[in-house]
Amino acid sequence: MSSGIRFDRVSVAYGRHTVLDALDLTVEPGEVMALLGPSGSGKTTALRAVAGFVRPASGRVFIGERDVTGLPPHRRGVGMVVQQYALFPHMRVEDNVAFGMKAQKVAKAEIPGRVAEALEMTGMASYAKRFPRELSGGQQQRVAIARALAIRPGVLLLDEPLSALDAQLRSGMLAELARLHRELPDVSILYVTHDQVEALTLADQIAVMDRARLQDCGTPQELYRTPRTEFTASFVGNANLLAVTVRGTGAVSFADAELKADTGDAVSGATATLCVRPHLVGLGDGPNALTGRVAEVQWRGATHRLYVEVGGERVKADVRELRKPPALGDEITLHFAPEDAVLLAGGVTDG
Amino acid sequence: MPALVWVLPPVVLLGVFFLYPLFLVVRQSVQPDTGGTSLQPYADVFASEAFREALGTTVWLALGATIGCLVLGFALALVIAFVPFPGGKAVAKFIDVFLSFPSFLITLALLFIYGTKGMANGVWTDATGAADGPFQFLTTPWGVLLAEITYFTPFVMRPLLAAFSQIDTAQLEVAASLGAGPGRIVRRVILPEALPALAAGGSLVLVMCLNEFGIVLFTGAKGVTTLPMLVYSEAMLESDYPAACVVAVVNIAISVGLYGLYRVVSRRAGA
Amino acid sequence: MLVHSRKGKWAVWSLFLVLFLPLFALPLLVILAASFSSHWSGAFPSGFTTGHYTAATRGESLQALTTSLVTALAASLLALAAGTWAALAAASLKKGGKRAVDALFLLPVAVPSVVVGLAVLVAFSKPPMILNGTRWIVVLAHAVLVTAFAHQSVSAAIQRLDPAYEQAAASLGARPSYVLWKVKLPLLLPSLNAAAGLCFALSMGELSATMMLYPPDWTPLPVRIYAATDRGSTFTGAALAVVLMAATLLVLLAVSRVRTRASYR
Repeated sequence: MSSGIRFDRVSVAYGRHTVLDALDLTVEPGEVMALLGPSGSGKTTALRAVAGFVRPASGRVFIGERDVTGLPPHRRGVGMVVQQYALFPHMRVEDNVAFGMKAQKVAKAEIPGRVAEALEMTGMASYAKRFPRELSGGQQQRVAIARALAIRPGVLLLDEPLSALDAQLRSGMLAELARLHRELPDVSILYVTHDQVEALTLADQIAVMDRARLQDCGTPQELYRTPRTEFTASFVGNANLLAVTVRGTGAVSFADAELKADTGDAVSGATATLCVRPHLVGLGDGPNALTGRVAEVQWRGATHRLYVEVGGERVKADVRELRKPPALGDEITLHFAPEDAVLLAGGVTDG
Repeated sequence: MPALVWVLPPVVLLGVFFLYPLFLVVRQSVQPDTGGTSLQPYADVFASEAFREALGTTVWLALGATIGCLVLGFALALVIAFVPFPGGKAVAKFIDVFLSFPSFLITLALLFIYGTKGMANGVWTDATGAADGPFQFLTTPWGVLLAEITYFTPFVMRPLLAAFSQIDTAQLEVAASLGAGPGRIVRRVILPEALPALAAGGSLVLVMCLNEFGIVLFTGAKGVTTLPMLVYSEAMLESDYPAACVVAVVNIAISVGLYGLYRVVSRRAGA
Repeated sequence: MLVHSRKGKWAVWSLFLVLFLPLFALPLLVILAASFSSHWSGAFPSGFTTGHYTAATRGESLQALTTSLVTALAASLLALAAGTWAALAAASLKKGGKRAVDALFLLPVAVPSVVVGLAVLVAFSKPPMILNGTRWIVVLAHAVLVTAFAHQSVSAAIQRLDPAYEQAAASLGARPSYVLWKVKLPLLLPSLNAAAGLCFALSMGELSATMMLYPPDWTPLPVRIYAATDRGSTFTGAALAVVLMAATLLVLLAVSRVRTRASYR
């Protein structure tokens, strides 16, 4: 029953406009893959290509070992949950959940039990007789998930499932989804989102998409700690992206400062981008010290965000709440540990 | 491909019961009773005084009624939407009901109000002792005009009310707070928003007035002949089918052309 | 909102009533009043009587009412079936095909009803299909005339229908026919109801094409109203008109009841 998803150079175009450009991606059986990217990045198109609602201009889509590229949606056997839930308004909750099984002619005797099971799993058992309009957004979401799970799909497609919920419900549902995944270890999940927190929390793998292309793919930890591109660095978490010049092994120069960082096999003299997470930047002197003037101070409750002008560039630092925050224009010194800085491979260019 | 197969049955039905008959009308219009194919029926009809008069009457009645409906409909819809009063919803509902009645009822009612022995003349003769009242316009084109304006105004009001409901009242309040008077607000804020709906409603009413038959038939005036009336009398009273078909073709050409225009306008208006 | 002073508001409202009452309310009231009177000379009708209704609900008049009801019912059902089918089939076509079908089905609105009557008369007075002189020609013409309205309102409703429902159903493994039957048609039901009501009302009041086609044994109510008015029995005509309006309203009301029961938002 467990089956993964494989995109084999899948391209989708509307007229001359390419919305998905030669996507190569594999979701292993039982894995949660988050497709993360801004709107218009092609992530939803990729999901809809799996569901069968867009037809690739070229390339193949596989579910398990099956090539489904030419199959109509109703013969693909995937569960899908969309942003607006799309519960059938003229059916009660139980009939919504039973819909897929009835459509697939599951034995009549089997249906009530599986409906109850799916509703139980999503905590909606006591709402079976209600109509969708009588449910809150979060409850509708659970029913939509129950409806998708009731057909026992090997693959579950979630298209921005939490974006219509308010912030508090969202974190609750996120925990629910994580629990569901633990209870259904065989189901592969393709999870489309523009929210990095959702992706980092839920996913085993994150595929970062931008402008119709796959930019980066890896585990959440890899993408967060060692991003390969500027886009990944800034989209997954927050980042200072400093334009630096490589000065031999283990050293780069930024503005007037000499900084220590792992330069890998970058050639001396090359220009590159150094990625430093703001919360890893400390106040005061230390290794890799940078001195500049305070351009802006934002109090965010638990932290202070400082913008410091260093050699014409703004460096962000998130520090624990300060008793006496610096005044604008004050000269202060920031530092970060050499091992917290990543020289972006994608950003290295010669001379 | 299967999609095309599915669309065939209703299209075939429409073809057999509507398009094919329509084609026969066009064919008959070029086949005079004497046999053969010629444009002689067209020449004959275009030359006849009755046709030219009917064409003129039809066009000016339709234009006049359309303008009347637009002015009246705009004014009434404006009040319902922007000077709300208790019962305004009921009035809007009443308009919906009004739209579901046939047009000739209006002429029937006007007979009782403005007819020779009707209400208005009755009041006049009772008050002055005169033998006849002053309202004798019912059997003239003006009677038709009044009936058409009455009947078709709701067709303008409906899209207008829909368009007005889209206007953010905050816009009006801001305009008023900036010192604009009601007249200026109507001209500068409301009218531009309502223009597409006005255009769409106006062209729909124009087409319907061109094709109106019941009102004219019930008026029973020999002096008022419109194109649809002419089609009816040529076919049913004179049994001159080629002539009826010629008038029908002219009527179709005018109203289908205008209806095409209406579709374009209303698509622009998003109605 | 637009007029703020109390005086101004009252002025606008009185103007509204002065225009609205005589133009729209008066005609209907007058017909109602006339239907209950034996004569009308002077300002107001006089001689209260229910005699016109006694006459209007028996014999040929009653037959005219049932004729109209049966014609309207048959024509609306035919039109609804054809219009809905065409709208559903057209929705799955490509853009050009859809536009062509829509335009074809809109054509009957643009063609004058009298001309539709003439065309049907010309086409079905000769072999292979002789319908002239039968009731079927009236039903057929009505169906042709109202199909456009049915098609238009159903196709607008299809356009408003969120494709997410259809897609959710497909992703759950439902074949297109199952989706149509269990999801699309139930969701379209309120619009189908409204379209049926519209078609019914239009057919009940249809006079133009009917005048050219009706056989002696199938006289719909509007023709009967015209005949009464034409020979000077305007009071009988008024009573018949009230019967027509009442019958139309009752059916519309029943349809809207069905609609509220079937609606779900």
